[in-house]
Amino acid sequence: MSPPLVVERSPSGATTTSGPRRERALSWLLLLPSVAVFALFIFWPLGRTLYLSTHGNDIFGAPGAYVGLDHYADMFSASFAGILATTALFTLISVLPAVLGALLVVLLLESRIRGVRVLRTAFALPFAFSVATASVVFAVIYNPAIGIANGLLGAVGVDRVDWLTDPSIALPAVGAATVWMNLGYNVLVLSAGVAAIPQEVVEAARLDGATGWRLATGITIPLLSPQLFFLVVVSTIHALQSFGQIHILTKGGPDDATSTLVYSIYERAFAYGSSDFGAASAQAVVLLLIMLACTAVQFGILERRVHYR
Amino acid sequence: MAHSPLRRTGRAVLALLTATALISGCGSGPDDGGSSDALDAPGAEALGDGRTTVEFWHAMKGANAAAVDKLVADFNAANGGKVEVKAVYQGNYDETIAKYKASVQQKNTPALIQVYDIGTRFMVDSKQVVPMHRFVEKDGFPLADIEPNIASYYSIDGKLWSMPFNTSTPLLYLNKEAFTSAGLDPTKPPKTLTEIGELAKKLTVKDASGKTTRYGFGAAIYGWLLEQLLATDGKEYCDNGNGRQQLASKVQFDQPAAVQVAQWWADLVKNGYATNTGRKTDDAQAAFKAGTVAMHLESTSVLRGYVDAAAGKFTVLTAPYPKISDASTGGPIIGGASLWINGVGHSAAEKRAAWEFVKFAAGATPQAQWHTGTGYVPINVKAMEQIDKAWTEKYPQFRTAVDQLHALPPSVASAGCLLGVMPQARKASEDGLEAAIVGAKPADQAMKEAATGVTAAIDSYNKSVR
Repeated sequence: MSPPLVVERSPSGATTTSGPRRERALSWLLLLPSVAVFALFIFWPLGRTLYLSTHGNDIFGAPGAYVGLDHYADMFSASFAGILATTALFTLISVLPAVLGALLVVLLLESRIRGVRVLRTAFALPFAFSVATASVVFAVIYNPAIGIANGLLGAVGVDRVDWLTDPSIALPAVGAATVWMNLGYNVLVLSAGVAAIPQEVVEAARLDGATGWRLATGITIPLLSPQLFFLVVVSTIHALQSFGQIHILTKGGPDDATSTLVYSIYERAFAYGSSDFGAASAQAVVLLLIMLACTAVQFGILERRVHYR
Repeated sequence: MAHSPLRRTGRAVLALLTATALISGCGSGPDDGGSSDALDAPGAEALGDGRTTVEFWHAMKGANAAAVDKLVADFNAANGGKVEVKAVYQGNYDETIAKYKASVQQKNTPALIQVYDIGTRFMVDSKQVVPMHRFVEKDGFPLADIEPNIASYYSIDGKLWSMPFNTSTPLLYLNKEAFTSAGLDPTKPPKTLTEIGELAKKLTVKDASGKTTRYGFGAAIYGWLLEQLLATDGKEYCDNGNGRQQLASKVQFDQPAAVQVAQWWADLVKNGYATNTGRKTDDAQAAFKAGTVAMHLESTSVLRGYVDAAAGKFTVLTAPYPKISDASTGGPIIGGASLWINGVGHSAAEKRAAWEFVKFAAGATPQAQWHTGTGYVPINVKAMEQIDKAWTEKYPQFRTAVDQLHALPPSVASAGCLLGVMPQARKASEDGLEAAIVGAKPADQAMKEAATGVTAAIDSYNKSVR
């Protein structure tokens, strides 16, 4: 393959290639830092993951014999199907309430009441907590013996709830903690979106008699659709990658009720003296494919309804 | 011709590096990695005239870390700069062994490392360590001073592979006031699971609205507790003589005794006489410390914390660990963690320096301090003589642990299971117990599935070390 040669003829009739070629070289030079960073931190690990996913491991975790697609074949099991189902459910119950809840908060904060700035700050505050900090706080709230949640329930005469030790409640409980953690960021993004809505559009609608619900569904929400779409895509990816809250609150239990794909990858690779990097890498590849598929579907379906100004 | 400044600088750097290497005595060239004498035990002469510095990776935090630091400081002071140990905290036991695995791959292991009991088989198979018995033989170290029950865990074919360091035994903890207010005699603790079940019913307290304010029993779903119960019943946890005749090929926590434990526990929770606080030991401990649980299973290592937390609220009593039935004659496994000396990639001086510290740490006086500072059981039989009367009187509960240790008949069951993937096996047993306790599966099915689930990991481990 021969490189395309750009030949320019100068007014004097002599050929020169130096101008565009220099420009192209310069563009490569300017791209070099980001290409290097991507290669080092994205492409090389990706290639390495693919390599590891087709190899066994010795007892120290060093890659061993080539095993082909064995690690992928192992995933066709009931337990892995359970992990995928848990992952899907966790994503659903942590993304939708966080986005819709933030939307509700932002719409309510539109009303002109005193101290709305304080409230807005308060609702955005969870954003300032790290996952680890927030999870530790929730661990105290849910604690079976000294937890605040059961203490409050007890005070109003309701029997205790096994927040993190009942398999049917643990996932919603971890999901609720995740919703709280994500709410702040979502409120922040949507508040910015609301602030960017041109005032004349809103005023025009008001002049036409639109208020409250009508104004929200007719004007505010459609004009917020780019932000809502962004939040759904980003929160889905975040939910699929959630690790900290599960690790701190339940460690995947009880009875695997909160064992998501990322947590399973961690357990395979690092937990309980395990160093099965091969199987963990194969699962990581599956996670990548799932995230790609989710994002593609969201772009394909949801984005059509997005109203970009 | 005059030397260029560059060359002069280079030479100075080279000289400095050589000098540093000589002073520190870290002459661990790549050539002694993998050579046959890497796993030999050198004599005292190996230390030479220089100063030898070795790293010691450990997994102790809080009060226990302070005790490690004191031990290391005492040792360094006693050796007047000839040998210097640097203690480095590496996270919990699991994290420490994960980092150790990475360090083996990078050929950068510490000379000395603390590894939990269930990592023993892995450490042997790693082919990185100098078996401790070689140093013991070299120096004529009095092995009789080491508690035989503790040493048996870390011995294979009667040869000691690592030096016991911190050892704990399981205990039954009682809330004295819960017993007296229920009209029960706290000086007659339950001896079997059945007795615990009967008492748990009487000790469970409900308020007027029917809410439970105190449960009769509560413990973490912690695989270690099941391992201990099986050992007290004389049952082996894995095949091939607890993995001591040859590599174990399967775990046996689906045997009737283990299923019986799971069923017993599940029934207590189902009937409302026991609380299920999940797998986290912290949460089960919090329940006992809050006084909401009357009977509780835990290690001796938390006793000090319990006594402090209960001060002014209730009295903590300890009793020997229960047995599965009256017919059980065994005793619990004496686990904990031990010290391993890495040979591959380390000079003779480093290996010797590590041994000097191990020898010191296993001594009667340091073990006595270690016991009072942490609550771990001393591994040296002479250590108890060194502990002052006042302390023993203040914490009479510690006696239970030491008496239980001495009353133990050593057996294959109480030596514990040697298994390369033992941490994963323990986790699987917790999966089984939990599935039974929360009622997701019948006890026998839960334990059966959990036990067979480990087989693939055992097979692949055994294949890779053969």
